[in-house]
Amino acid sequence: MSLPKQVKKKLSLIPQKFGVERRQELLEDITDKGTYLPKGVLHADLDRGMLDFVKDQLELSVDGKKIPTLDRIITNQSWIQFTETWDFKDLDNNVSLPFISTVRMPEVKYGTNNAGRANIPVRRQFFYYTVPTWDGQRKGVDVYKIPQPIPVDLTFNVKIFCNRMREVNEFNKIMMRTFTSKQAYTQIKGHYIPLKLEDVTDESVKDITKRKFYISTYKITMLGLLIDEEEFEVTPGITRQVSLFEFDTRKPSKRAVIEPPNPKDFTLDFLYVTGNTSLTEVFRYNANIEIIRTENLKTCFSLDYSSTTTNILSYVSCNGTPSTISLTAGSNGNICVKGGTIPTLSNVTGGTLSSTSSCFGSYSVNITRNSVTYYLGDDISPIQINDGDTLNVVVNKLDPTQPAILYTNVTLV
Amino acid sequence: MTQNRVPITRLNKFFAEQDFNLELAMGEEWLLGDMNFTLVLYRVDRQKTNSDDVYGEALSDAIQFLPPVEFKGYVKVEAPSNSDMGSSRIYQTEPGNLQVSVYQKSLNELDIEINLGDYIGYYETETRVRYYSVVDDGRIVSDNKHTYGGYKPYYRTIIAAPANENEFRGI
Repeated sequence: MSLPKQVKKKLSLIPQKFGVERRQELLEDITDKGTYLPKGVLHADLDRGMLDFVKDQLELSVDGKKIPTLDRIITNQSWIQFTETWDFKDLDNNVSLPFISTVRMPEVKYGTNNAGRANIPVRRQFFYYTVPTWDGQRKGVDVYKIPQPIPVDLTFNVKIFCNRMREVNEFNKIMMRTFTSKQAYTQIKGHYIPLKLEDVTDESVKDITKRKFYISTYKITMLGLLIDEEEFEVTPGITRQVSLFEFDTRKPSKRAVIEPPNPKDFTLDFLYVTGNTSLTEVFRYNANIEIIRTENLKTCFSLDYSSTTTNILSYVSCNGTPSTISLTAGSNGNICVKGGTIPTLSNVTGGTLSSTSSCFGSYSVNITRNSVTYYLGDDISPIQINDGDTLNVVVNKLDPTQPAILYTNVTLV
Repeated sequence: MTQNRVPITRLNKFFAEQDFNLELAMGEEWLLGDMNFTLVLYRVDRQKTNSDDVYGEALSDAIQFLPPVEFKGYVKVEAPSNSDMGSSRIYQTEPGNLQVSVYQKSLNELDIEINLGDYIGYYETETRVRYYSVVDDGRIVSDNKHTYGGYKPYYRTIIAAPANENEFRGI
C-alpha cells in the first residue's frame, strides 16, 4: 500500500532556511572565506564558472566511461590545444571522439538581466557594510562601499563531438533535464548566475566521402555580472563621539520688546476716550507724524456768500445750531459752517456760495522742548518731532459722549 | 613488449628499401648540400610554461621554450597580401605563410618534433629574421605525395603563419 502524500519519504538532515534567514545565508555565501566585501567577478571568473558547470553538471558517461571535457576555453595560442588534449588523442594526434568542448563567443554584450532598462548613471559608490574596528584603544567602524555590479551577457556554445547517436541522445537528455525550466544556475564565487538555454543546433559532418561524426551545439547565454574589486572603497567611519551639554545657570531676564518692530515706518493712533480731549506723548526719536484721518472730531469751514437779489441763506452753524440769514441785493459776508452740512440759498440764481478754509480747529498741536511749550497750530499735518520732544494734542470732539481717534503714520527720520 | 614490425614489400620488384634510401640520400645531398635553407625551431616547453586555468594562455614573454634547434628544409614563402584589419579600415600588408618541407629522417636525427604552436625563425637577410607560428604541423603523411609513390612516408610539409612581435620575437 502506498504511503499517504503527506508522508515525506526523504527527510533532509540539514534544516532548510526560508525568508530573511535564507537571504542572510546567501549573503554569507558571497563573503564566505573572504572579507566582508563580496568577491570580485570578472570575465575569466565567469568563463571558469561555465567550464566548471559543464564539467560538473553536464557530466556524461557512456558505457561506464566518463567522456572527457575540454576544461579550457581554446584561444589564439594554438600550442595550448596540445597541452589540454594530450590525454585523449588518437594515432594522428587528433582529439579522439567523443569529447565535450566549450566555446565562448569573444563579444560580451551589456546584460539583459535588468530587462534593458536605463540604469543609474555614473559609477557612484553604495553603502554595503559597516565593519567594527578596534585599534587597541578605541572602537570604530570602517564603512565599505561598492559600486553597482555591471550586468553582462556571455554566449557559450557547449559542443559534444561523438560518433554515436546514443551519445547525442544521452547528452541531450542531460541538457534538457538541467534546463527543464529553460534556465539553470551556477554559483561563481558565491554569486548565483543564471544560465539560459537559447538554442540547439547540429553541425554534424555527414559528408559520405568524409569521416562522419556528430556535433551538437547548445547555445547558452550566461546572465553574468562584473564586480571589480579595484572599485571597492573602504573608508574609516566614526571612531569617537563626544556629546557635550552646556547649561546657563543665570536667570533669564525678560528681553525688552523693541518697538516699533519696523523702525522706519509705522502707524500710531491717538485714542481719546470719553471725557478725555488731551493726550501727551514723549518721543525718543526724530520723526514726521502725518495725520491720515480722524474720527469723531469737530470740523467747520469758512463760507463766503453774496446775493444779487432778496434771498435767504439757510445753514448749520459751527456749534450745530440751524440758522438763517436774510439777504438783500448786494449783501455779502462770511460765516462759519459746521462740517458735513451744505448751506442753501432760497433763490439759487440770486446768490453765490464759496467755501474757503477751516474756521475751527479740530485738534491743536503743542510741543514742549527743553521745558518750553510751543503752540504749533491747529489741524496741521505733518508734525515734525525731534528726539526728546513732548507732543501734546488737544482735540475738539464732535460728540463728547463718544471716544475720538486720531490715526497717524509715523516715519522715522 | 616489442612492437610488431611488418616488412614493406610493395613496389619491391622495382623500388625496394635500397632504392628508397638512395633516393633519400640524394635528396638530402641536394637539400642540405645545395639548397641549404636553414631554419631555427623554437619548441614551446609545455610542461614548464605557466598557463592560466581558464584559457590556458601564457602571459606576454611568459612562454618557456626548449633549446632552439637549427634544421634544414625546403622553404617556400607565399606572397604578401593587402587587406584591411577586419572592418576597421586599417590597411595592412600581411606577410605570406611559410611552407617548409623537411625530411622526417632529419627530424629523427635531430630528435625533434614540430608541433602545432611551435615557432620557426627564418633569416631573410643577415640581419632580418622573421618568426612564424606553426599552424599545420603536417603530422599526417599518409598521402602519396609524402610517401614517395606510396612506398613509405619520408617528409613533412609544415605551414607556419607570421607571428606578431608581441607574440614572439625570439629568445
